[in-house]
Amino acid sequence: MKTSSFANWTIIGLTLTFLIGPFIVIILAAMTDGNNLAFPPEGLSLRWFVKVFTIESFRDSFVISMVLAIFGTLAALVIGVPAAYAISRYKVPGAGAVQLIVSSPLIVPGIIVGLALLRYLVIPTGFTIFATLFLAHTALILPYAVRVVTSSLQNLRTDVEEAALILGCSRLGSFFRVVFPNIRGGILAAFILGFVTSFNQVPVSLFLSGPGVRTLPIDMLAYMETTYDPSVAALACLLAFMSVGIVFLAERFLGFSKYV
Amino acid sequence: MSDYVKLDDVTLAYGDVVAVPNLSFEIGKGELIALLGPSGCGKTTTMRAIAGLMGLASGSIHIDGRDVTNLPPSKREVGLVFQSYALFPHLSVYENVAFGLKMRGEKNIKPKVEAAIESVGLSQFANRLTPDLSGGQQQRVSLARSLVVEPKVLLLDEPLSNLDARLRLEMQMVLKDIQKRTGVTMIFVTHDQSEALALADRIVLMKDGKIVQSGLAEDMYNAPETRFAADFFGFENILPGEDGRERAWRPNAIRLGEGPYEGRIRGMSFGGDYRTYVIETDRGQIKGAVAADLPAYAEGETVRFDLPMAQAVALQAG
Repeated sequence: MKTSSFANWTIIGLTLTFLIGPFIVIILAAMTDGNNLAFPPEGLSLRWFVKVFTIESFRDSFVISMVLAIFGTLAALVIGVPAAYAISRYKVPGAGAVQLIVSSPLIVPGIIVGLALLRYLVIPTGFTIFATLFLAHTALILPYAVRVVTSSLQNLRTDVEEAALILGCSRLGSFFRVVFPNIRGGILAAFILGFVTSFNQVPVSLFLSGPGVRTLPIDMLAYMETTYDPSVAALACLLAFMSVGIVFLAERFLGFSKYV
Repeated sequence: MSDYVKLDDVTLAYGDVVAVPNLSFEIGKGELIALLGPSGCGKTTTMRAIAGLMGLASGSIHIDGRDVTNLPPSKREVGLVFQSYALFPHLSVYENVAFGLKMRGEKNIKPKVEAAIESVGLSQFANRLTPDLSGGQQQRVSLARSLVVEPKVLLLDEPLSNLDARLRLEMQMVLKDIQKRTGVTMIFVTHDQSEALALADRIVLMKDGKIVQSGLAEDMYNAPETRFAADFFGFENILPGEDGRERAWRPNAIRLGEGPYEGRIRGMSFGGDYRTYVIETDRGQIKGAVAADLPAYAEGETVRFDLPMAQAVALQAG
């Protein structure tokens, strides 16, 4: 018993070190007082955190990433919620195929999606980079939206909708009065998952950047190629805290983990 | 009025599979009817068609003289108490009961809703969310929710089958009381003959989507017409007679100990007031019940018995 509990704690310790270790390294590297990205830090200071906010390209790309994450996720939900409803409530012919297509952005490597969109959408048709990024992020989030909402629909009995119909609702009315309030948690969970996925997305966005249009992670990569200072580490810390904060709040108020 | 609810030549199908072919029956105003039959006999499908949750392949349904065949559920003025109760999990008891009145756009619904909740004895739970209630309480909320809109017909899907014995009796009385108080026409679906007998004025016995027999509960119990009906109502001994017609006896109609026939005891089960024996005879297996205060037979023992014609029910073919 004693050995096995020692083994358990060792495994837990190693796992946590492996998961959280890099995070701690980045935090400490960002808090350096020196001018180079290095670990261990040379003295402690918060000046790189301040510097992040003065870099104009970061501000611009932050706005672009926010817009993509918020509106791309909303678009994915507008498509995904009805799709999830149809898949879970009706015997749709080819439902299996639809589910596969909807999941395909999870399977196809993002870098291929990005390259394909650039070569066959942006270049021949002159579609703007931003619009293409928006499409790509929407498609990327769609699988999460459909999956999370489907599982939350499967937890809701179908006969409550029938009860609403008998009590005087139209079909659409029963969706908004009975179904929607009961899957609201799932939809919010899908939104958060989609938001974080989009915001942290690199491979698809890699090829889809142009003059003045870059997502924040791509901008950070570009910045590091020219300037090897700790401001990127500081920004990475801020983003990580934002993600952790969102998921923490979601877990606290929604029981996020039961939907994902 | 004996045709308050009228099904005329109704055919119901799932895709190409016909579940109920050409069904017709009529129900009088204020009647309490049981649709009885084994699972898969089409009773639930029929109930869903009356509610408008299932379209008709052909035929028509009238309620109170109005053709409702093509009306959506919301326009039919029916109530349905689902087997699982189907309460809205995000709403309180009060809001569940108020739902139908709100949908009708009625003003000043509070007294009505409160009276309905009161009538099922749940006033102190009005502000609870429904998933926090027991099964029996949920069923009463479901009843109140259906009745508050004063439907013309109240449909109930297996209303007693999820309840334990004590709650069953209580719910039976609640339903009888509702019938007396409101005069609402009730149709309930069940697979349990004892439920149907205890509750219904009239029983419609179904098999394979067709009506096998319908009539007053007592008549159905005492005089089943077919082999299927006899078996369903507990006539466990069905034997061909000399005239070619089958006759049926309940186990307690078989007289053991004397008579023209002979058999061997194969087994016994003790039922409290009586013992039921399985007897192997040259006419097949027979079940006979004997009062438990009489001496018991041993397994393997040879026993004489009689099949009294006075207590036999003659069956029609089919």
